[in-house]
Amino acid sequence: MTDWHVPAELLDRYLSGALDPVQVMSVDAHLARCGPCRTAVPPDEEWLAASWERVADEVVRPRQSLAERASRRLGVPEHLARVLVATPTLSRAWLAALAVTLGFGVAAAHLAPGGLLAFLTLAPVLPPAGIALAYGPWADPAHESYAATPMAGAPLLLLRSVAALVTALVLTGLAVPLLPVMTPMSAAWLLPALALTSGALALGTRLPLPVAAAGLAACWVGVVTAVGAATGDRSLPFQPGAQVAYGCAAALLALVLYLRRHHLDPGEPR
Amino acid sequence: MTSVTTPAPPPPTQVATVSVRGLGKRYGRRIVLDGLDLAFGRGVTGLLGPNGAGKTTLLRCLATTLAPDTGEVRVLGLDPRSHAERTELRRRLGYLPQDPGFYPHFTAFESLDYVAILKEMTDRRERHREVRRVLGEVGLLDRAATKVRKLSGGMRQRLALAQALLGEPRLLVLDEPTVGLDPEQRLRLRALVSELGESRTVLLSTHQTEDVAALCERVVVMDAGRVLFDGTPGGLAAVAAGRVSMTGVRPEPGALFWRTADGRYRTIGEVPEGGEPAEPTVEDGYLLLVGPASERAA
Repeated sequence: MTDWHVPAELLDRYLSGALDPVQVMSVDAHLARCGPCRTAVPPDEEWLAASWERVADEVVRPRQSLAERASRRLGVPEHLARVLVATPTLSRAWLAALAVTLGFGVAAAHLAPGGLLAFLTLAPVLPPAGIALAYGPWADPAHESYAATPMAGAPLLLLRSVAALVTALVLTGLAVPLLPVMTPMSAAWLLPALALTSGALALGTRLPLPVAAAGLAACWVGVVTAVGAATGDRSLPFQPGAQVAYGCAAALLALVLYLRRHHLDPGEPR
Repeated sequence: MTSVTTPAPPPPTQVATVSVRGLGKRYGRRIVLDGLDLAFGRGVTGLLGPNGAGKTTLLRCLATTLAPDTGEVRVLGLDPRSHAERTELRRRLGYLPQDPGFYPHFTAFESLDYVAILKEMTDRRERHREVRRVLGEVGLLDRAATKVRKLSGGMRQRLALAQALLGEPRLLVLDEPTVGLDPEQRLRLRALVSELGESRTVLLSTHQTEDVAALCERVVVMDAGRVLFDGTPGGLAAVAAGRVSMTGVRPEPGALFWRTADGRYRTIGEVPEGGEPAEPTVEDGYLLLVGPASERAA
């Protein structure tokens, strides 16, 4: 401590920036040691506010989940990554249901004759089922609040659909190597899955999504079973010719979805 | 119904932020909005009415979460029937639904952050600053990291109000914002809403006539999908002028009355014998329009 304190005139010049660097360093050194002189220096409100802002920004912020960090690494913008990982379908319950269903399909492929065809019939139904549970008042407790935001309707539904579709495709893809045989036929679920997904979304512009997805899934299972029974060849719906048809259907239904996307908005006049 | 007034246009100095003409909505055979006409501007407008009056349906139509079957709506000069104008309107709108849901595993901060993203706030720093601002507005900053499932009902209601305030919207549509709040929180909410009403348009529905008396410059009473009264809270109280009385003896059964703290009986409707006139309130006027008193007086 010292008895000397920064004179008022010197302090004024210090605060107004009129001192040369050597004098500034000298006053700084004194201020560092002298409490009374420090209290005479008025705080820089702007700097202080900005500093608190930075501190608050670090302290009060949501934790990033593993999926969110992975999305960011893949180049997904921060705000979209948050929306993607918060998709209701990505709940643990749904992921567990998906894993159990795929496990059942794989087990059937091992244990039952023609079980691979059961797996190929079942797997395409999973993505539209996930999408049906991703958006709407039946799936989302906050739907009414979100429906009044600019991203309501197609933008939010399609983002969540991407999350549900990618999850279902990745998990199904992981289940494929567990099948008893690995043939090109093992991938024959992919195009039907895309066609059913586009179809459910396109139909969702007219019907509630769960109705659209359930209806299409029932039609798919019914048609595959009926074609197999009628022709005596149960693998016919998964042959290359049929795959071309599924690919074309997926593209066509995606176009229908694009043209009718505004009807996914709850505020769109019917 | 005893008294049906023609909806009043907004005062000439006030520009209508919201105007509704011939609005109709039905669910199956049930008519919920029956050719409703309404226009209002800046300030706080209260919407009163019994359950099933059509208040929530009207608010949903204005908040663009429901399309009406018939009629015209203009909000902030925009037509919600057009997709582009509806999206633009949503950028300027804050909406507190009647049953605001949350993801229980989200924290209070995460809940608001998510809504802020859906309100197109893409810059993280600015978005988080805005989230902290609205959390502070509703007194929940110290609960920012608390999971929604651990918040009390009143806190969730305040969180729901905070999400409506994100982005400083020009129009606030609040469906029963005081539900679940204790008296102190209600007072705080009134102060906040009345302050917001100085520079914005606020439309709130409520069952609490005291909220209307304390907050609203204008009150609209609805029943069966139609407007029964449109005016000031004072005007609504005046509907009961000369029809509210106090008596020392219990009125005849069938009259609408209740025993007050001083042991006397307050009667609404026909003045019983020996009844002394009493100052009418907003609640008296409301009950005369839509409550059991209206049926008795009809």
